[in-house]
Amino acid sequence: MFLHYIDLAWRSFKRTPLVSILMVSAIAVGIGITMTSLSVYHMMSMDPIPNKSDQLFAVQINTMDDGETWWTSDDLALQMTYKDALALYESDIPKRKVAQVRTGFSVHMNNDTVKPFVEAARVTGPDFFDMFDLEFLYGGVWSDAQHSNANKVVVISEELNDKLFGGADSVGQQVMLDEHAFQIVGVIKDWNIHTKYYDLTNGAFNSPENLFIPFSLIPVMELPTWGNTNGWRYEEINSYQDRLQAELFWIQFWVEIDNPTSLQEFKDFIHAYLIDQAENGRFERETPKYEVRNVNEWIEYNGVVSDDNRILVGLSFMFLVVCLANILGLLLGKFLRRAPEIGVRRALGASKSQVFAQHLVEVGMLGLFGGLLGIVIAQLGLWGVRQTYSYYSALASMDLTMLFSAPAISIVACMVAGLYPAWLVCRTTPAIYLKTQ
Amino acid sequence: MLEIKPIINALFRSKAGAMMLLVQIAVTVAIVSNATFIIQDRVAYLNQETGYPEEEVFSFSIMSFAEDTNLLEQAELDEQTLRNIPGVINAVNASEVPLSGSGSASSFFLVPNPDGERGVRAAYTMGDENIIDTLGVKIVAGRSFTADDVVVQEEGMDTVPSVGIASQAFLDEMFPEGDGIGKTLYFGPFPMQIVGVVDKMKGPWLKDSRADNLVIIPLVRSHTFQKMIVRTEPGQRASIMAQVEDLMLENSNERVIMRVRGMDESKQNYNAEDILMMRMLITLVVVLVSVTALGIFGLTVFNINKRTKQIGTRRALGARKSDIVRYFLVENALICTLGLIIGGVAAVYLGQTLLQHYEVPALDLTYVIITMLSVLVISLLSVLMPANKAANISPSIATRSI
Repeated sequence: MFLHYIDLAWRSFKRTPLVSILMVSAIAVGIGITMTSLSVYHMMSMDPIPNKSDQLFAVQINTMDDGETWWTSDDLALQMTYKDALALYESDIPKRKVAQVRTGFSVHMNNDTVKPFVEAARVTGPDFFDMFDLEFLYGGVWSDAQHSNANKVVVISEELNDKLFGGADSVGQQVMLDEHAFQIVGVIKDWNIHTKYYDLTNGAFNSPENLFIPFSLIPVMELPTWGNTNGWRYEEINSYQDRLQAELFWIQFWVEIDNPTSLQEFKDFIHAYLIDQAENGRFERETPKYEVRNVNEWIEYNGVVSDDNRILVGLSFMFLVVCLANILGLLLGKFLRRAPEIGVRRALGASKSQVFAQHLVEVGMLGLFGGLLGIVIAQLGLWGVRQTYSYYSALASMDLTMLFSAPAISIVACMVAGLYPAWLVCRTTPAIYLKTQ
Repeated sequence: MLEIKPIINALFRSKAGAMMLLVQIAVTVAIVSNATFIIQDRVAYLNQETGYPEEEVFSFSIMSFAEDTNLLEQAELDEQTLRNIPGVINAVNASEVPLSGSGSASSFFLVPNPDGERGVRAAYTMGDENIIDTLGVKIVAGRSFTADDVVVQEEGMDTVPSVGIASQAFLDEMFPEGDGIGKTLYFGPFPMQIVGVVDKMKGPWLKDSRADNLVIIPLVRSHTFQKMIVRTEPGQRASIMAQVEDLMLENSNERVIMRVRGMDESKQNYNAEDILMMRMLITLVVVLVSVTALGIFGLTVFNINKRTKQIGTRRALGARKSDIVRYFLVENALICTLGLIIGGVAAVYLGQTLLQHYEVPALDLTYVIITMLSVLVISLLSVLMPANKAANISPSIATRSI
């Protein structure tokens, strides 16, 4: 029966080609525009690490005097001081932990084969790779001894390994970062994340760094930060050592904790630490303020999905409503003109529900065509987005979810629009149409 | 005269079609007036005056990894090389590039080391006496820097410049009673006398609440990461930008030259999100209006086909062609007006919802009114063609049976 309805729908489609094409284009444009903005929104708001996003926490502590404000909603700075990061790193409560910051180097091989280029580097702890689910292609992370000795060791990305070593196993080789020779200990596989959730301070959608070096190198190499540094009071800072002791916020701190008991313990640890610091007179603060946020809360708190994007998604759905109203109007006209034919079918024994089903199949088919064409339009739209904004290039694409939702949304929307016309037409009384003609 | 009563009677006989048209028009008005308003807001933001000849200025960054190089001497040499290129007006090694989205800011105070007092925040950039000329900004009061003003710092903050040049907006905020020139303000414990005022120069962040506050300090520091700003003769920038990397590497090859960008390009990168939003909204508005117009067109065609016989009968009974056209126009105008009124209210409501939840300015009512009028005109135009076709239906059709 279903196949027969499809056949009927196709015949009906061909009988009024102009109106049919008009309807399909209307739904296609509606779906295309909606899918363009929805895809970007979907990519932006997607959980970047679904299997453990509720176990990774960004840590924020307030080490300012009472009365000092910050631009965040809860007056907590997004980063912390170097000395606080070192102190929190002492805690054994978290399963894993990293203190980290972004820096950068000129990368070269001390010869003429590779033209020197600049790369950003992540200065981080050895737990980083396990915490954020990075896989190694060759080698592995630097050892604890190398970390505590502040050895010049580096983990590079597959992309960089391809560029410098043609994809060969480069573990044990040397690479020059500025004037320093670093030994490669590991190569990680390409890390495809849409949102750079582990460091949102310099653009949430930038690609991850290609170099990873030990956090212990900071005081030794006096590494400059490539991220933000914020202060809240005037301090005389004449040397790098002053900077390390200063009340400047420039270090990010993450922990991995997989059970509520440890989480509470860790919070108590921070609480006690902040009380201790206040008592030592470092800052004037009555009650300690701190926050640990999991990945999704962190993304929400940092406003990663822009207002513009939400507005666009909203407007696109309203636009889809216009397209549907459009189709509904056209369907009404089209179906009602067929009333005499339906009258005959009804007289020959077709039940109301059969007529109804037949028409729903017909609009469903329009929806399918519209949805498929809509994907093409959405791809065009996303191409336009990538052209305008290269920063969005990883975001402006459709994953499988979006690819399947396009025809699904389209068919459902069309069926909703088709309900009323189909209902009207199935109520046709056969008698009228059998009389005069 | 306009046969409104029979038209309304007829409309009530086919409510659903009219209803859909009404919904379409209402939603269209709501979306289009809000979208055009946001578009206009972004266009105004993107086209604002920045104070710089953006098409004549470009910048690039140098990251040196050479050991034992005197970076200050190197920078002087680089500046000289750049100035020797035909078509270059001036070049300067500066700490930050305006409009680029990357920079530094600090609070400035009226007294040294204030306790608890709120200062005025301004972005700042540092460079030698060539910086004003290179940026191409206009000094409206006081003077530019001289070579004597410039302090060269090897290490630490041992000596600092005693003068600075500031934007008018910053001085107006610092000294509300006006006339900030010649006054002294404090940067931490360091005094700085304002010797020149620039009428307009934007800081590095156009979206900042203090986007107009910029202070230029005549200080040169040794740094492995440097930024170079160059101003060229109009029209020659592209060819000069193309040769900069090679020329710089000829001077010294133990470094990387990057981000060779025109000032307008840097600004565009910083504003890419707004440009994207603007383009997407423009697409949305254009497509939406076309879809609505097509919908009205399609619906009228259907109505006419349905009523062929009635039209023929009316014509046979003496109605003129213009009467038929008028009938459809009035019918459409009736639905449209109702849709416009509902749409106007919806637009205002939508505007308020957006205002509550997002950072958008309050909707200007003129946009709603202009949109309503435009939609009415488009709607009537979409009816006109099918209506004219209907008017050509021959009266003889009435006498025929189907």
